[in-house]
Amino acid sequence: MSEEAGVVIIGAGVNGLGTAYHLGKMGYDDVVVLDKSYICSGASGRNGGGIRQQWTSEENIKLALESRKMFEKLNEELEQDLEFYQGGYLVLAFDEDESKDFKKNVKLQNSLGVESQYLTPEEAKEIVPELNISDVVAATFNQTDGTIYPFKVVNGYANRVREMGIDIRDHTEVLDIVTEGDEIKKVKTEAGDIKTDTVVNAAGGWSSQIAEMAGAEIPNKPVRHEIMVTEPYKRFLEPMVISFKHGIYFSQSEHGNVVGGMGNPDEEVGVNQTGSLWFMKNFSKTLIDFIPRFSGVNMIRQWAGLYDTTPDAQPILGTVPEVERFYQINGFSGHGFMVSPVVDKVTAELILGKEPSMDIDRLSVDRFEADDFEAEGAVVG
Amino acid sequence: MVDVGGHMPERRIKDHPVLEFERGNEFYFDYEGKKVKAYEGETIASALYADGLRKFTESKLLERPRGFFCAIGKCSSCIMSVDGVPHTRTCVVLAKEGMKVENQGARPKFPFIEVEKGKRLERDIGIAIVGGGPAGLTAAIIAAEHGADVHLFDEGDKLGGQLVKQTHQFFGSHTEDAGIRGIHIADELIERAQELGVEFHNRSTVLGFYPERTIAVERDNRFEIYNTEGIIYATGAIENFLAFENNDLPGVYGAGGVQTLMNEQGIVPGEKVLMIGSGNVGVIVSYQLIQAGVDVVEVVEALPEIGGYQVHASKLRRAGVPINTRHTIKKALGEEKVEGAIVQKIDENWQPIEGTEREVECDVICIAVGLHPDNEFLRQAGCEMEYIRELGGYVPKRTEDMRTTTERVYVAGDSAGIEEATVAALEGKIAGAALTEEVYGSSKELEKKKEEAKKSLEQMRMGPYGEAPRQGVKMCTVDEEVC
Ligand SMILES: Cc1cc2nc3c(=O)[nH]c(=O)nc-3n(C[C@H](O)[C@H](O)[C@H](O)COP(=O)(O)OP(=O)(O)OC[C@H]3O[C@@H](n4cnc5c(N)ncnc54)[C@H](O)[C@@H]3O)c2cc1C
Ligand SMILES: Cc1cc2nc3c(=O)[nH]c(=O)nc-3n(C[C@H](O)[C@H](O)[C@H](O)COP(=O)(O)OP(=O)(O)OC[C@H]3O[C@@H](n4cnc5c(N)ncnc54)[C@H](O)[C@@H]3O)c2cc1C
Repeated sequence: MSEEAGVVIIGAGVNGLGTAYHLGKMGYDDVVVLDKSYICSGASGRNGGGIRQQWTSEENIKLALESRKMFEKLNEELEQDLEFYQGGYLVLAFDEDESKDFKKNVKLQNSLGVESQYLTPEEAKEIVPELNISDVVAATFNQTDGTIYPFKVVNGYANRVREMGIDIRDHTEVLDIVTEGDEIKKVKTEAGDIKTDTVVNAAGGWSSQIAEMAGAEIPNKPVRHEIMVTEPYKRFLEPMVISFKHGIYFSQSEHGNVVGGMGNPDEEVGVNQTGSLWFMKNFSKTLIDFIPRFSGVNMIRQWAGLYDTTPDAQPILGTVPEVERFYQINGFSGHGFMVSPVVDKVTAELILGKEPSMDIDRLSVDRFEADDFEAEGAVVG
Repeated sequence: MVDVGGHMPERRIKDHPVLEFERGNEFYFDYEGKKVKAYEGETIASALYADGLRKFTESKLLERPRGFFCAIGKCSSCIMSVDGVPHTRTCVVLAKEGMKVENQGARPKFPFIEVEKGKRLERDIGIAIVGGGPAGLTAAIIAAEHGADVHLFDEGDKLGGQLVKQTHQFFGSHTEDAGIRGIHIADELIERAQELGVEFHNRSTVLGFYPERTIAVERDNRFEIYNTEGIIYATGAIENFLAFENNDLPGVYGAGGVQTLMNEQGIVPGEKVLMIGSGNVGVIVSYQLIQAGVDVVEVVEALPEIGGYQVHASKLRRAGVPINTRHTIKKALGEEKVEGAIVQKIDENWQPIEGTEREVECDVICIAVGLHPDNEFLRQAGCEMEYIRELGGYVPKRTEDMRTTTERVYVAGDSAGIEEATVAALEGKIAGAALTEEVYGSSKELEKKKEEAKKSLEQMRMGPYGEAPRQGVKMCTVDEEVC
């Protein structure tokens, strides 16, 4: 049996399904979404739900700002409470260098329309009274940042996409992408072949494997990132608190549980999604340093997911030089959820040959051919 | 309607045909500003239950009432704030004089607890056994008999696992232990392990597995780490649940929960019980309820015939308890707690037959629809798992030696598949012997004991009731090379 589809999307995470959603919204439903596991099994079902606009590169600030505005309307569109809580992001600086950068960042962010503020440690403590500020030098805060419940967003997309007549097939692994010259011919899956000339690589931590199948090269590398959740409490923490220096972030969800993660600077490249003792020990210690009252709180689960990392910590979007109509939407490191609305929309526009609503040329894979690409500085973990 | 103590009928069992409850000293603790009576050895949840409390907490999102349910620390339906520590599982913590217990509602306040600063306990040990039921205890005994450094972890205050609540004559068919009550078997095993120098870690919950064979343990609100030479996992089972309207009302209990409350703690669950399920556990617990002076109003069973042993079913019939096959529960009635139930007939295709709904008067609905293995830890340890219906759910692939696909990680008892206590003990013996051989070197005597246990196990599974597990075990047993 040989099937045909206009577009095959690989990966049923927020970006694969978000792209399908925007294609459907634009009236195009000849789409199949494939996932080797269950919906939301990748980073989209394992992340911290953080929505932040306080970035240091112009691209990321623009993507995040536009996406935040789209998230604000998403409840209505998906007819569901997605638990988008705009308690702000409180970013802490622990030395003079960081503090200097923060001033610069705020200026750039303000110039692009993000209303972040530069704060003293005392002002930070007013926002989070439990905070230990003994080593804090400065902070920045942006009220419209916040957190969202990832499962509801992704499943909200999935429900809507199915209503639009788009096919989502979970537990269907892509084994190969067959090309002739620079054209895609078909996608081979464990459940048969699908003829198509257009493929979207939304495979998160597995995206370089998918690119290789099509004979294309992207520099993405999967790196494990760990996270945990505590028992639930009445709300005592309004914003997401984060530190680049410690690689830690934590926030309280609408359910009352505190969700937080931390990067291990020595983490090796590879597909590994198991929890480590290193994280358990070091995260809890760091968390208690930040807010000493956490010493009386139990963690109820820890888990891990993959950051799909790139050399400049910015995503890879658009087509590749080797193969035509092979769209990339990957390489999001630790911030692929918060920018998803706009990148999903733009990807759909590119596929349908429409004028993109935001210019994303700078984010295509060929940027790495230049020697002087600039890295995003505000990466956590 | 809220229950208050005082005028409630006495919930503590005084006279029992087979059990004697030696209650310790009487004392009082504080619940929401009220003095509550307890006896030494009672858990907080039991004492509150005896005092008439039904709603223990609320669900996190919808704020629905939550009551006592599993009684063995698995379900979190009874969490409360105890001496300022929120989310305490009151069913596994003993009541103490002067304790302050509070209803924490759906979400407690961010706690303010003085935690003693100090170095985290981290220890290198020999063999860690997780779970002190019959499987864990026998594994510990054989390993210790052969010189192993054995550490037995159990989250309860008392060892013995589910054996402790079995007051009936054992249903282990042809073994020397048949005819003895579970409670006594447990006591003997505990004593033997103690004599052999097994180190007991009670009130110690094993939280997780990390490479290479490190386990994380929570004890008295502290986090401990043990680096082990090998692990035997024997945490038993979790009760199955049923989907029906209002199934979360306080008063809907698992059969194991009812047994714990009644046989271990000597407290009756209520006055009128509707039993769901007529397997061995359903009929035995029904009979135990009658012995404790509780009215069992009806047993409903979805299958066309009774699943449990006829001996027990006949006892029920003689006591005038109707057993209605091809029936199911449709909904529980009540707002804050169970005040009745609707039962209904079902057809050959398991579909409810309209118009056959009938109201049953009861204050307890006891669910006895089987167990499933408690083995998430093994999944975390990377063991290959397989769904085997005959063994109650997902179980690890294992060799005849009970070794999983993860190096030096063994499994025994209900965690390896739901069977019964004698099987659990034999599996424990095999796993204990095999791991001791692997870590400390093999000996003729160990080898002999292991092979004997394997033979007994085979015999155990020969009878008609052994048919399903025999098939199940066949499906998940793999060769030595695979592991
Ligand atoms: C611990 C952690 C915390 C994070 N915190 C945040 C945060 O606070 N805010 C934020 O914005 N971002 C955060 N991120 C990043 C964010 O989660 C990801 O960038 C985002 O979810 C990526 O979504 P995706 O749809 O591109 O990929 P994924 O969700 O990873 O989906 C990829 C899918 O592709 C499928 N797949 C792979 N190979 C194949 C194949 N061969 N065939 C078929 N299907 C295949 C996978 O099964 C998977 O479901 C975090 C990430 C982690 C790991
Ligand atoms: C209601 C009921 C009636 C039964 N009646 C009979 C009968 O009459 N005859 C018969 O042969 N069998 C009977 N059984 C079955 C029998 O009790 C079990 O097969 C047997 O107890 C299983 O032994 P086990 O050692 O595997 O587990 P268990 O006896 O369940 O022991 C497991 C132990 O592990 C501990 N534990 C669990 N998780 C952790 C953790 N994370 N950290 C530390 N410790 C942990 C628990 O506290 C417990 O002590 C009955 C079972 C039930 C539920």
